[in-house]
Amino acid sequence: MLKATLRSFLAHKGRLLLSALAVVLSVAFVAGSLIFSDTVARTFDRLFASTSADVTVAPPKDLEAAVPTGQVRTVPASLAERLAGIEGVESARPDVRAGNITVVDSDNEPVGPTTGSPTRAVGWSADERSVVELTSGRTPRGAGEAVLDADTADAEDLAIGDTLSVQAQPGTFRVEIVGIAAFTAPNPGSALVFLDPEVAAVELLGSADRATSIAVEAAPGVTAEEVDHRVTEALGAGTYRVETADEQAATATDELGEFLDVIKYVMLGFAGIAVLVGIFLIVNTFSMLIAQRTRELGLLRALGADRRQVRRSVLTEAVLLGLFGSTLGMAAGIGFAYGLIRLMSVFGMNLNTTEMVIGWVTPVTAYAVGVGVTFVAAYLPARRAAEVSPMAALADAEIAGVGRPLRTRAVVGSVVGALGAAALAGCAVSTGTGPAASLLGLGVVLTLIATVVAGPLLVRPVIRVLGGAFPALFGPVGRMSQRNALRNPRRTGATAAALMVGLALVGGMSVASASMSRSFDEQIDRTLGADFVIQNANFLPFSQEVTDQVRDTEGVGVVVRQRFAPVAVRLPDGERVETTAAGYEDRVDDVARITYASGDTAAALADGGIAMDAGFAADHGVRAGSTVPVEFPGGQRTGLTVGALTDMESGEGLGVRGGLFLGIAAIEKYVPGGQDSALYVNAADGTSADELRDRLETTLAPYPQVQARDQADYKDLVHDQIAVLLYLVYALLGLAIIIAVLGVVNTLALSVVERTREIGLLRAIGLSRRQLRRMIRLEAVVIAVFGAVLGLVLGLVWGVCIHQVLALEGMTALAIPWGTVVAVVIGAAVVGIAAALLPALRASRMNVLEAIAHE
Amino acid sequence: MSTPAAEHTPGLTSADSIAARARGLTKAYGSGETTVLALDAVDVDIARGRFTAVMGPSGSGKSTLMHCLAGLDTVSAGRVWLGDTEITGLKDRELTRLRRDRIGFMFQSFNLIPTLNALENITLPMDIAGRKPDEKWLDQVIDTLGLRDRLGHRPAQLSGGQQQRVACARALASRPELIFADEPTGNLDSRAGLEVLGFLREAVDRLNQTVVMVSHDPGAAAHSDLVLFLADGRIVDEMERPTAQAVLDRMKRFDVIRARSVDGIPTPGRVSGLTPDLTPKPASGLAPGPASHRAPDPVPGAGPATGDAVRSDEPAPRKD
Repeated sequence: MLKATLRSFLAHKGRLLLSALAVVLSVAFVAGSLIFSDTVARTFDRLFASTSADVTVAPPKDLEAAVPTGQVRTVPASLAERLAGIEGVESARPDVRAGNITVVDSDNEPVGPTTGSPTRAVGWSADERSVVELTSGRTPRGAGEAVLDADTADAEDLAIGDTLSVQAQPGTFRVEIVGIAAFTAPNPGSALVFLDPEVAAVELLGSADRATSIAVEAAPGVTAEEVDHRVTEALGAGTYRVETADEQAATATDELGEFLDVIKYVMLGFAGIAVLVGIFLIVNTFSMLIAQRTRELGLLRALGADRRQVRRSVLTEAVLLGLFGSTLGMAAGIGFAYGLIRLMSVFGMNLNTTEMVIGWVTPVTAYAVGVGVTFVAAYLPARRAAEVSPMAALADAEIAGVGRPLRTRAVVGSVVGALGAAALAGCAVSTGTGPAASLLGLGVVLTLIATVVAGPLLVRPVIRVLGGAFPALFGPVGRMSQRNALRNPRRTGATAAALMVGLALVGGMSVASASMSRSFDEQIDRTLGADFVIQNANFLPFSQEVTDQVRDTEGVGVVVRQRFAPVAVRLPDGERVETTAAGYEDRVDDVARITYASGDTAAALADGGIAMDAGFAADHGVRAGSTVPVEFPGGQRTGLTVGALTDMESGEGLGVRGGLFLGIAAIEKYVPGGQDSALYVNAADGTSADELRDRLETTLAPYPQVQARDQADYKDLVHDQIAVLLYLVYALLGLAIIIAVLGVVNTLALSVVERTREIGLLRAIGLSRRQLRRMIRLEAVVIAVFGAVLGLVLGLVWGVCIHQVLALEGMTALAIPWGTVVAVVIGAAVVGIAAALLPALRASRMNVLEAIAHE
Repeated sequence: MSTPAAEHTPGLTSADSIAARARGLTKAYGSGETTVLALDAVDVDIARGRFTAVMGPSGSGKSTLMHCLAGLDTVSAGRVWLGDTEITGLKDRELTRLRRDRIGFMFQSFNLIPTLNALENITLPMDIAGRKPDEKWLDQVIDTLGLRDRLGHRPAQLSGGQQQRVACARALASRPELIFADEPTGNLDSRAGLEVLGFLREAVDRLNQTVVMVSHDPGAAAHSDLVLFLADGRIVDEMERPTAQAVLDRMKRFDVIRARSVDGIPTPGRVSGLTPDLTPKPASGLAPGPASHRAPDPVPGAGPATGDAVRSDEPAPRKD
């Protein structure tokens, strides 16, 4: 029996190829993402462990802001002397690193990565811990000198002798590049400017007695843990964060890990889509192979093979396919991870890695996914194969499965569909974000299952309509292609399902993102009163100079600064909420339209006052006039009086819970050294907006990191942020479509083989090759469009429900991107045509006589 | 250059009375030592308005002859004409159009497109061509074949005999110059088979069509006007107004040849040298000129073409 299985596997290898490809893709994504994240994590783990001092003393853990404040937290530099005196400490050195800077070259072009990785100014220290090595020039000595990292120098075309301008919190200063230093370790993508250590403290942190951390080295024979213990003892627990090199590496890797996790989850998302869509492809291939082999299976049964043997034979084939696909997938995954690592270097993350890390988890997961998916997908077809009766060997070769009633599918489909619809309806009427989201998730899964199960039932009615115009448009060729698509609803349904899944996701996500965009637009229209918003494209804070220069610009009327601070509020209901509060200057009413449920701007911004969202206040038992204890960074506590409750639709969301805002003076007081995050600017009387724009652009020329945006520009900026989500969705769609195309190709190729005699007959009675190709193309188009329509309908329903959840978060506008919908349908038709290319070619090349005589 | 059959007025000239002809038609498979001649320099004329049967044992080349005459297969050497059109050397596209517009086909089985109903199957060649069927003719064909109440049925809903009748109707519907039937009764029981043969006969007699049928069943051949016997790639004999018994007797003699050729004369495709001894008159396939056969007596109800003799010395039309 095993021999027969192997023979049959090899005999059908051509037809299994496309299924194998689906397995390969899924496994490649899984393996690739695991290898990539392992490799990167290992690389950085080693890097941080080797470049961290034995023990590092840094400012203590504190509240973390969801929005950067621009503050650099410091320790006294004199702490180093104290630490040096501790027994077992060989040396203690203050380190200075500042990430809140902007570096521009002599043409005011920004120097450094544009992809979000930081640009840092660092005090130079040349010891074995350094991540760089001076390759040319000399070290920086005194003010006005700097060493630039070689990657950045290459990327920005800078050399020794060029001048840079460093915009730091205390002020801007100019430096001349006196040396270039190359990374000796992987570069996570940051641009580094090295300064004389003492100059760095003054220029970056504002005082020679400040440092961002103290690097402590243990004396020979003393372990890092011992030093850690003694330092902690000497300083007192909690006053500073004291970490050994290993802990430091772990913390740093964790921080980087968040970024890597995003990549990993995105990749696993791709793997998930590949697996999901691949399952349909494999199910379909096996079903078709079994349908074709009905007689052969019947013969096996007639010769005495029992059901279990037939089933096992098919499943063995599946496992062989899975093993084969997984092995190729592993290989492809390694290549994929390598490509990804190379790709990271395009974004400035130079991993300098020659060594791939393949943990045992990777191959285990890869094979589990590959073989598991194939096995699961082949299980139903295998059972069906086992049900083939010995009589099938004697019967005329009628394709099994065509005539089997779809009753079970109808029942299961409608029950699951009803449950899913109920869940979605529940989501739509739900008033809490949590339950609504859960119901949404449940509804999405159930309706997806229902559509997949009931898909074949929808084939007839939908394709009758979709292909209804075919006979009129394309004559008998159109009629035959439409009927061919209707011929085996199961097969058409399963083929289209692969496309449907991907398009449903895209449909839902595009409705959600379009609704978000529109909601933000409406919100901007409603609330933004300023002529211009001056802001960093990444929403990072900027230096004080920018604010000063803007204020001094001619024609500028009102300027309102905005700052953020991490806070923790202790609410009357006992809950402690960590969030971010915004600080505004007094004339915020001139640049924004805030609606209040009670109180007003003056009361909110008054000294000792605060405003919060009315809904949030009500949920937590806060009333206008009550005083809430608020905690600022560094353990500073104060009581603030709720002077106003706002009634804004989007008070919550984006991690800024509670919609807290207060006077900017309070933030400046509690977060010293912070930076402005935005300036809201109105034109002075007599100055037109266009004039002001020109002047602001001139003023801001030396500060390329910030831009002046009017409302339209501001909307574009917000749209761009949302678009990132959409790009991801489109990439997922692309992958889903590639696999779905494989499915359509597969189905058509097998159909063409099955219909060999029919095709021979058609050619004999005068169907031209071109007409034959068109017939197959049209069939593919109708299948693809069927999948697209099903997917889009499902996706739009999901999208509307997602919108209901978003509405609870304040994003009330609903937008359906009809352009995208139409584009997807047209795209699906193109996909169909592309998928039909090879099968159509093959059919048209058939020898007429051989085709007619085909058994 | 293609002349729709409907425009022909049969019997005006002798050239017009020939529906298809072949000269030196050779079909070889393989190459070098292993070459097998399926057709060995066959000359044949198919008279218009008659029912010609091609008989022969398995492997005699009868199907290959039909395929070559119908433009389904390429020839190794020789020339083939359909009416005045030389089809050897035509490109696939032209051959396809020729089959579509000027030839009707019936195969042994799998004659119909399962997704189309009977009427759609019948009009398919014309639909493909984008032509409107001649309604009057179509009605006549449908009524002749008794398919009026089956037109909306799909092939799966029809019996084997009904399916072949639909195939027959399709072959007739576009009023082609020539209908090729490849073992049309091979898959039918005897009653349904007789029915189909009756219809083919009627197509010739009442509808004035030209039919070439390939068969190995002497009973089926007995319905024809003329039987051409093929053996090892050559036309070795012909028989006018055959009867089943006569055909059967003639066929039995092939078995004798076969046995002998296997015993003593191993050269494949060269058995024809023996045929003069065995046949009452020299087989036309041996003559350097075209196959010659006399027309039978007019069949009652037959069109004018059936009365015309095909002259054996008719020179082959040449294209320069």
